[in-house]
Amino acid sequence: MDLKLLLNWRLHLTVILASLLAEWIGILRIPMGPGTLLLLPLFYAFIIGVLLNPHLFSGMNRIIPKSVSNAAGPLILIAILPFIAKFGSTIGPAIEQIIAAGPALILQELGNLGTMLLALPFAVLVLRMGRETIGATYSIAREPNIAIISDKYGLRSPEGIGIMGVYVVGTMFGTLYFALMAGYLASLDIFDVRALAMACGVGSGSMVAACSGALAEAMPGMRDELLAFSGASNLLTYATGLYVSLFIALPAAEWLYKRLSPTALQEARNENL
Amino acid sequence: MKTSDTVTIDNEQLQELRPENQLGKTALLLAVVCVAAWIANIVNGAPLLQALPGMIVLYAMVMLGLGIGRVAPFYLPSVAWVSLVSILMTLPFFPGNGWIVEQLTHVNFLAVVTPVLAYAGLALTGREFTMFRQTGWKLVIVSLLVFTGTFVGSAVVAHLML
Repeated sequence: MDLKLLLNWRLHLTVILASLLAEWIGILRIPMGPGTLLLLPLFYAFIIGVLLNPHLFSGMNRIIPKSVSNAAGPLILIAILPFIAKFGSTIGPAIEQIIAAGPALILQELGNLGTMLLALPFAVLVLRMGRETIGATYSIAREPNIAIISDKYGLRSPEGIGIMGVYVVGTMFGTLYFALMAGYLASLDIFDVRALAMACGVGSGSMVAACSGALAEAMPGMRDELLAFSGASNLLTYATGLYVSLFIALPAAEWLYKRLSPTALQEARNENL
Repeated sequence: MKTSDTVTIDNEQLQELRPENQLGKTALLLAVVCVAAWIANIVNGAPLLQALPGMIVLYAMVMLGLGIGRVAPFYLPSVAWVSLVSILMTLPFFPGNGWIVEQLTHVNFLAVVTPVLAYAGLALTGREFTMFRQTGWKLVIVSLLVFTGTFVGSAVVAHLML
């Protein structure tokens, strides 16, 4: 961490102005089909940030030099921490409700396997992707999952490329997508909103923030309870998610890939001959 | 296939990024990002003075969590430690929990995240933009399916259990 670059005042001033503008625009509700899309200030802040990013438009180099932008990565990790603390403070007061929902909270971790039922077959059968599929679809591709793939296959392997692709897409759009999806599903009224709140917990810090924030806006009356549930679920993801993805999800992805992929089937047949 | 160095996040880098390993620098940077959140909070949260104790409480919780993460005998991500500290301090039997929760109500939940996303947008590197162009549309579709599958999968299980 290079302090001189990280304390660049233009960077922080830009962030403050972008945030003020985003907060001032506020929450927009867009009716779409049977549900409603919620646009949150954090979307606009992200979009303003990307538009001012010197790597996208080199003219922005005058406001924020590329070197500052390159060094700013660690700031995201640090800036999310006060939010995590705020998040935790919704769990403490609601501890009794959370304990009452304990079994649901713990078992929904297994719901992470849902990614394989949907994404893996599509990637293999429709997009005809190779072993990238395993890295891309065995988990939600956050840092702990990358560590697992890096350990088992290396990041330059096809599996590594797959997970890094999803990681980058997640970094760029994951937060926005989670919030849109959560707000929309809540407005459709199919699921118990508390279940959606728990499902928000699967992602990275900012995904969880956007997702549960969108739910809280969709159901303002249940605000505190919803935040507490997604916070608790996220904490459990950190505690158990690594093991679920290492011991259950990854072997399951390998298994399913071998049964679906034409090339893997071919190889298996050749081995038998 | 062209993989290039763009894809690599090696372990050393991840180690270096962990905020609990550089507490001094983190304390300073945390103060800066807290100021950004504090100002962003004006619009939909509370005026500066009213939100000040809450922001200081958040700052203290984070530093405490990072400190514990530094000395803990086993590894948990710093977010988990910070979260645990904050849960503990707001539990009904924790001394002064009423005051803490009261102060934190002046800090708007979403306003704290808005600057994070502004930082995220500004910190995307050339590497990420390039990678995005290289990996292309297939991985975008797969990623969205991954997010949908995980989210809906968890929601279904939780819905059935509740």
